[in-house]
Amino acid sequence: MAKLTIDDLKKIKEKVHSEMALREGDRRVKITVHMGTCGIASGAREVMDTLLTEIEAAQVTDVFVTTSGCMGLCSREPLVTVEILNQDPIKYEYMNPNKMRQVFKRHVLEGEIQTPFVLAKGAEKTK
Amino acid sequence: MKIFRSHILLCGGTGCQASGSLTVKKALLQELDKKHLADEIKVVETGCNGFCALGPIMVVYPEGIIYISVKAADIPELVEEHLIKGRVLGRLLYHEPSTDKVIPTMQDIPFFALQELRVLRNRGLIDPEKLEEYIARDGYAGMAKALTEMKPEEIVSEVLNSGLRGRGGAGFPTGLKWKFAAQSKSDIKYVLCNADEGDPGAFMDRSVLEADPHSVLEGMVIAAKAIGSKQGYIYCRAEYPLAIHRLNIAIGQAKEAGLLGKNILGTGFDFDLEIYQGAGAFVCGEETALMTSIEGKRGMPRPRPPFPAVAGLWQKPSILNNVETLANVGQIILRGAKWYASVGTEKSKGTKVFALTGDVNNVGLVEVPMGTSLGTIVYDIGGGIPKEKKFKAAQLGGPSGGMIPIQHLNAPIDYEKVVELGAIMGSGGLIVMNEDKCAVDMARFFMDFCQDESCGKCTPCREGTKRMLDILTNITKGKGKEGDIELLEEMAGVIKNAALCGLGQTAPNPVLSTIRYFRNEYEDHIRNHRCRATVCSALFKSPCQHTCPIEMDIPSYIALVRAGRFEDAYKILLQTNPFPSVCGRVCDHKCQTKCRRGNMDEPLAIKFLKRFITDNAPRPKVDPVPVTRKEKVAVVGAGPSGLTAARDLALRGYKVVVFEELPFAGGMLRWGIPAYRLPRNILDGEIDTIKALGIEIKLNTRVGRDISFANIEKDFDFIYLACGAHKSQKMNVPGEDLKNVYGGVEFLRDFNANEEKWLKGEKQLGKKVAVVGGGNSAIDAARVALRLGADVTILYRRLRQDMPAAEEEIKAAEDEGIKIEYLVAPLRIEGTKGKVSSVSCQRMKLGDYDNSGRKKPVAVAGSEFTLNIDTIIAAIGQVPDMSFVDAASKIEVKRDCLVVGNVYKSRTRNIRYFAGGDAVTGPDTVIAAIAAGHQAADDIDTSIRKANGEPAYEKPAEEKIDVPLVIDEETVEAPQMPMPEMESALRKAGFAEVELGFTKEDAMKEACRCLRCDAEL
Amino acid sequence: MKAEDSELLKEFTTEQVAKLDEIIKKHKSKPGGLIPVLEEAQIALEYLPISVQKKIAAGLNLPLSRVYGVVTFYSFFTMTPRGKHTVRVCLGTACYVRGGKAIADTLKKEFGIEEGETTPDRMFTLETVRCLGACGLGPVIVVDEEVHGRVKPSKVKEILAQYT
Repeated sequence: MAKLTIDDLKKIKEKVHSEMALREGDRRVKITVHMGTCGIASGAREVMDTLLTEIEAAQVTDVFVTTSGCMGLCSREPLVTVEILNQDPIKYEYMNPNKMRQVFKRHVLEGEIQTPFVLAKGAEKTK
Repeated sequence: MKIFRSHILLCGGTGCQASGSLTVKKALLQELDKKHLADEIKVVETGCNGFCALGPIMVVYPEGIIYISVKAADIPELVEEHLIKGRVLGRLLYHEPSTDKVIPTMQDIPFFALQELRVLRNRGLIDPEKLEEYIARDGYAGMAKALTEMKPEEIVSEVLNSGLRGRGGAGFPTGLKWKFAAQSKSDIKYVLCNADEGDPGAFMDRSVLEADPHSVLEGMVIAAKAIGSKQGYIYCRAEYPLAIHRLNIAIGQAKEAGLLGKNILGTGFDFDLEIYQGAGAFVCGEETALMTSIEGKRGMPRPRPPFPAVAGLWQKPSILNNVETLANVGQIILRGAKWYASVGTEKSKGTKVFALTGDVNNVGLVEVPMGTSLGTIVYDIGGGIPKEKKFKAAQLGGPSGGMIPIQHLNAPIDYEKVVELGAIMGSGGLIVMNEDKCAVDMARFFMDFCQDESCGKCTPCREGTKRMLDILTNITKGKGKEGDIELLEEMAGVIKNAALCGLGQTAPNPVLSTIRYFRNEYEDHIRNHRCRATVCSALFKSPCQHTCPIEMDIPSYIALVRAGRFEDAYKILLQTNPFPSVCGRVCDHKCQTKCRRGNMDEPLAIKFLKRFITDNAPRPKVDPVPVTRKEKVAVVGAGPSGLTAARDLALRGYKVVVFEELPFAGGMLRWGIPAYRLPRNILDGEIDTIKALGIEIKLNTRVGRDISFANIEKDFDFIYLACGAHKSQKMNVPGEDLKNVYGGVEFLRDFNANEEKWLKGEKQLGKKVAVVGGGNSAIDAARVALRLGADVTILYRRLRQDMPAAEEEIKAAEDEGIKIEYLVAPLRIEGTKGKVSSVSCQRMKLGDYDNSGRKKPVAVAGSEFTLNIDTIIAAIGQVPDMSFVDAASKIEVKRDCLVVGNVYKSRTRNIRYFAGGDAVTGPDTVIAAIAAGHQAADDIDTSIRKANGEPAYEKPAEEKIDVPLVIDEETVEAPQMPMPEMESALRKAGFAEVELGFTKEDAMKEACRCLRCDAEL
Repeated sequence: MKAEDSELLKEFTTEQVAKLDEIIKKHKSKPGGLIPVLEEAQIALEYLPISVQKKIAAGLNLPLSRVYGVVTFYSFFTMTPRGKHTVRVCLGTACYVRGGKAIADTLKKEFGIEEGETTPDRMFTLETVRCLGACGLGPVIVVDEEVHGRVKPSKVKEILAQYT
């Protein structure tokens, strides 16, 4: 490593901080990629990879990605749920890398729900 | 920049490594590879996360789910469930010990939630071997500010204003130390970091060095600028290899990045530092000894002045700060003195890290604001004491510190308060001790430590600690003498004043502090050769026998059960206890709390084995004892205490008559304890054996009413008052005089006296019954009411764990369908037509700690509510009824109890009257009453013989019973044999005994679990 | 090889002696170098008999008495050969209150030696230490560098078996 200056310190802080932001708690958006056996078989893995690349490229730190198991709607996999803080979660069906990119850019970053891909709005009821 | 969807932070501190975290990490990396997740999930090995007892600890972000005690074998399931399917793996989550609730996220676990992290702010959150991660969390920003924007004087005054005091022990203001060194004129000055964390039980410095080493380096550079130093040393003990390893990495990184060495951050400031490894000497934690050690000599302290700020290492001005102090500095400079001083107390600012260890559920590192109460640390953060043991004291400040006992749980912990209580802050080692720790033995342990670590340079410390250790060792071996305590105090004073360094001056602290709070334990060791904690094994044969108030020979009768010799076992029981089948059922069995087997799995079922013997062997026959003595003794009260005294006196040849007010003998055993716990024929059997010795019991005879004291004094030479405590305490609420308001013991006595009427319905409680209280008699009253067909609710003002009733009784009540409302107290009883109709209650919450270590209930305003009831039973405690005592008799009564101790333990001020049992102590246990009876009989006999000039009583030789010694080679863990019980549905139907007793096989198997602590090999 | 090393070579290999020379050379010019030399020498030679101390004294130009004084002062240094494995029982306060004493007794019984001694087969050296900072896991024993936590007397045999 080259000798650091005060400016370098600030730069490192900004860069690494966003990388570590994941460990600090509240996020604006939570995206769940449903990755049961069926999801993975129908391409959830590629959707996940795309999503991570998009987040990286956009340099956003307020989005966190998580996975969950099969939703029971195997025929509509891959499924992705986008949940913006204080809004109803939106479930997207038949996702692929292209759709994922579109949902990320338009819905996650700009707040515009991508209606053609939407499966359902709101959370499932649980007892 | 690489984005990962999840970060897994795995603790790699010494504690977690010892529990196997490196194997877990390896397994995790392999599994992630296998499942092709390595690009999505990042694994970070962090430093100590503080929750060492439950390691290895793993935290999964972004959810913040914390997994505890993770094993390599858990990894495939964990990856599959959490990382692929997104489901939390329940079985590895944390269970809160007091409530048994599962808590998945770190911030919700009280251990973490109640802490305020400043020094430890990066713990478990960054990879300590990555400089960038430290920088990302504001690392080196304070240093940058100090080097570019501040003059040395400004740094010194910022630290001074923050109120930061040395965290190594003495609490000297850090800014002041720096100021003196800054003022010293010299080309060469040194900044030293004391990482020779020698206090046993303290590990916060190790943790900081392992989890956040750069924070210490940053603090040192700032200190260097403040005093004008170019060279520093970190003196770290060799016992911390991981800390040294991480420090080396951090120093290497900092040098490479220009954060150490020449021209730091391009500002022109130079500072270099080196690690110096200690070689194992506690005294080197002392300032001047540490410097001597770096100079390559024996680490002995040197006299001050000159102070190190003037002439320290190599005679140059030096400052020495401890790791925790230095780790605070970067933040103080960055965020300002005001921010730092915003928490804490008036004279102790900021936070303090405590190493919480010993007998506490959540062992680990705890950082809290100065002034946090001891109770909060031990109970709320620490989760309380394991195995439902009682808190005894906390040792604060290591071997130089002192104990803070139970009555000071509310004490706000800061430098001043701690000193006032006789301890020191030290480096913050906080060792919790439960009731099984002996104060004298702990003092001996600490003195042994100090004696061993004394460097030998000055005589008071070298010789004084040795002499004090000798005295303490003697006391623990039963060779203590009167005057030893005073001698210890005197020597402690001399050493404190005359020793050269901190080690010697503070070495007597644990002795002084234990004498201050536990003087009676010292006296018990010296005078009675008793160690109530059953630690000092030279004083007793076995812990169970030593704990029993009448010292029953427990190991022998258990060995005889194992051998199948039940009749012999019965004889052993009767040697000390006239009521073995009663005690086999209702004794509070303190013996079991000290059973050594309990440290391994569970204590022996001593009580149940005792019952087994009396249920399964014929009762040894008793013949009348001829009266051989002329003195006659009257006993007032036919309870366990009175009958025991009568029996002992009859065996010694005295004529004894027992006077009993009620129509049957047995006292509280008959009138207070219901038949489903103690069948009447069992009790009668024991009483008949006592009567068979030739003792007369006059029933229905109240002394002072049916027979005058004058008459008794005429007919008898001595009188033993054992009239018990049969009057319920009042609740002192309005409406207590209404009909259907009972006292607990009054209700039980009424029921037992008029059982037939109650069962026929001639006497009735009504449908709904409320019982107030949490002791055994509250539970007894509730279970009787239930059997009479009532719907019963117990109202208790604290929590379940605070109930004085035995756990098995509470559980039985719950099983039978009794509802218990906690944190509720009655306010007033309302009635119609002179009869109870409802009770108004209010909710309570728990406030500060009381002297018993329980939280005091405090009323919650506006929480009133009403319960409709037909009967209320107040069982909140009993007092003796002393209305029969004649004022002219000179017998002293204090707070409703008889006063004794006139030369003899059981004698009243009137030398013809002795007293014992509940009448003296207030409500206590059966076994305590029996012990009091033994004591009184011995006192009466001894006082007679002394007055007559006769020789002391000699017990006739007892039949010799050979006790076999069979010990298993291997001890296999096995829980206590459970007591078979009647089904709870059947119990409500009547008053048959609930506990059914062991079978022969059960009993013999259980007896084999005895470890035979009594054996001398 | 120099003549004065002959005494050393009775107990140590040529490589060990050469390593000792190297250590002395490394710290020779530094003030306060004695303790680091002793620490490194003990790692290389396992123990520090008088012959080694003499060589270090000569190498650092210090009186032998000074070297001897330091070796005997610090508990880290030993003058007798050690077992293949070192078993250290922690008797720090936290371990003591959690039963460290019983563990120490079990080990003494198991080995048939006292604290500070080495088994006749030179497999194990038994030591007690004051706090290893792993208080969360008390009682603790350390075999070589490996920490074993929550040790029970009944588990001692099992742990030792891993090292024989």
